[in-house]
Amino acid sequence: MLECTGLTKSFSKTLFSDLDISLAPGEILGVLGPSGCGKTTLLRCICGLEGLDSGSIALDGIDITGTEPEDRGIGMIFQKPVLYPHLTVSGNLALASRIGHKEALLEVGLSGFEKRTVENLSGGEGQRLALARALLAEPSVLLLDEPFSALDKDLSERLLGDVRSILKARDCPAILVTHNRSEALMFSDRIMDMPDSS
Amino acid sequence: MNELRRSLGTVSFALYSAIVVIPITLALIRLISVTGFNPTGWFASLSENYVSLGVTNFTVVQATASTFATLVISMPIAWVLGRYKWNNEPIIRSILTLPFVVPSIIAAMGILTIVGSHGLNIRSDQSTWWWTLVISHAWFNMALFIRFCEPLLSSMNPELEEQLRLLPHGRTRLSRIRNLWLPLLMPPIVAAACMTFVFSFTSFALVKWITVGNNTLESMMADVSSSAGIAGYMESSSNIVMGASLIQFTILLTSLWLTSVIQRKQSYALDFSRSHHSKKIDRRGLIVLIPALIFASLPLISVLIGSFRIRNLNPNTGDFSWGTGGWEAAIEGGFSFAPVAHAFGNSLGYAFLTLIVALPLGYTMALTIYDLEKIKPRLGRLLDVFTMLPFALSAAMIGLGVLIGVIKINPSAAYKFWALPALAHVMLTTPFVVRIMLPAIRSYDKSYDENAKVMGMKSIERFFRIRLPLLKGSFVVSSVFVLAMSLGEFGASFVIARNTDWVTLPLLIDAWRGKPMKDPFAAPASNAIASVLLLMTMILFMIAERFRNSREGGMF
Repeated sequence: MLECTGLTKSFSKTLFSDLDISLAPGEILGVLGPSGCGKTTLLRCICGLEGLDSGSIALDGIDITGTEPEDRGIGMIFQKPVLYPHLTVSGNLALASRIGHKEALLEVGLSGFEKRTVENLSGGEGQRLALARALLAEPSVLLLDEPFSALDKDLSERLLGDVRSILKARDCPAILVTHNRSEALMFSDRIMDMPDSS
Repeated sequence: MNELRRSLGTVSFALYSAIVVIPITLALIRLISVTGFNPTGWFASLSENYVSLGVTNFTVVQATASTFATLVISMPIAWVLGRYKWNNEPIIRSILTLPFVVPSIIAAMGILTIVGSHGLNIRSDQSTWWWTLVISHAWFNMALFIRFCEPLLSSMNPELEEQLRLLPHGRTRLSRIRNLWLPLLMPPIVAAACMTFVFSFTSFALVKWITVGNNTLESMMADVSSSAGIAGYMESSSNIVMGASLIQFTILLTSLWLTSVIQRKQSYALDFSRSHHSKKIDRRGLIVLIPALIFASLPLISVLIGSFRIRNLNPNTGDFSWGTGGWEAAIEGGFSFAPVAHAFGNSLGYAFLTLIVALPLGYTMALTIYDLEKIKPRLGRLLDVFTMLPFALSAAMIGLGVLIGVIKINPSAAYKFWALPALAHVMLTTPFVVRIMLPAIRSYDKSYDENAKVMGMKSIERFFRIRLPLLKGSFVVSSVFVLAMSLGEFGASFVIARNTDWVTLPLLIDAWRGKPMKDPFAAPASNAIASVLLLMTMILFMIAERFRNSREGGMF
């Protein structure tokens, strides 16, 4: 279970202040807000890539606020899939786990892609691979930063459905940030609007 | 590829082949006619003659050690320059990369001043010569690692590392180095290492002046070249040159081939980000940066200081005094030395003559390679490697090739044709033009040309109104490189310039330094001329830096 309490972060302006988030096991939360409101920064703070001005984050009752991102056990899928061009599909998966590649690819609909180079993957395939890799690492929580925003509507909707099914089948809690309300409604169990900090 | 471009490409490659292949072929024919076709004898001569004994071993060992030392010294510098944000970054980068364009004879003078009797005073101990040479090569070549690796380090998408930190096999710093940095940096590191090996292998001025008596293949060939290729006279010299050339050619060609293969296999389409996104402020980098700046600038400052320090002949008046005597001696010249103005004129003349030929030649060849890459990729790659051939030949070999080749065609030209050294300079500088222009041509958006075509512009008009302004930076950098390299060229000129009227600034520096040290002005005069050459190089370098595209990797 993820408990975020009093999260506050500002750069040149305050992005969010005294924000509380609670995520039950297996729950999928959608965070809605317009571009530039601090959605991505919120996810980066939760996984530890950005530091908080104040507030605390606890995972399964353990305070991880000061823990390095690599030690938190939280996974994240970036807006644009981050795939390593010097590695094949299988090589990218190996960064998460040395085993289970075939099953992971089958789960995301990329069977037989093991030996392919990532440069030849389409946008949708790239995001599926990023998802497979993130899940293979067995994260305690998965954070999704508008991962399908660059795809066309049909593909985006299909992928959202697929990812939701996979997460539910694994009972993996997740937070999706998006500016698209219908996407959030389709994907999430619960929706939270980013508070207006201005 | 239109007709005009095809014709220009054919002419440029024919001309380049004539300039490179004909002299070398004639030289080989000449040498073989003297020695007979006897490869075993050529190689055996290297271990039979005291002149060449142990030279191959020494060359390979010092080049390997120099490459390793350059890697160890340069990579931390490339890292702090690429990953951290600094005030006045362009100036810092210029200081750190200046050594590569500084003529090696200037580096030799500066380093001799540092390690000489009024500096660290370690030249009395022969065991330090070897290390001095290795560190000098590292000083000279560190710009290669910085230029090849820093663009990748400074502009790589930070999400690549952030994503890895969230994955099990990227949790430790070591695993991120192993899984991300090392594989991505490997191609530029290998390319820089191979080029460093090539330049250390063929180093001449530094070897000649720093390791007295310890020859490399290059310096030994330059030494024996005057007696090579003459039938019935010191045939061992011809045997030695043939053996040394073949070894040198094989090793250098292998290094260049390796560079090309690794770069092609691992040229990832990296997702670059804007450099200010990835760079962070970390003052701990000063631990690397400050010593690096001192290391890069000290030999150059030493040259200038050394030009004013005159050894006292009378021991009662101290070791040395300060004065402008060295400058005066250099300006006036002497019975056996040309005045500096004469060498200056020759150097400038050769440099501009080289530029007039090498720039259009290199550009049209780069354009042809680019065109062929799309329609006949294999031929394009072959010609790409062919343009690098002079890298595998080394300056002394080129000088010897030009000299023997010209003697074969017209013996009197070897002493009467003033422009002869420029021919060797063209051979040595054209590959650099191709290497600088090719990435620029590849990144040039062809829609600019297509749009100009539909506006009714003819090819010449398109070149001057569209292409030239857009590729201006690469043209300026290429021109500056050609001028700087020609001005500082020493190895080939040393072999070719048989007429004392053809003396260039580097040759004059060498001549002054070679004067017996009882002349108190020998060292300061050589340093004074080196300072003039250094000033010219620095002006050219500053011009180039204004036009350099900082995000372009792998550029000299």
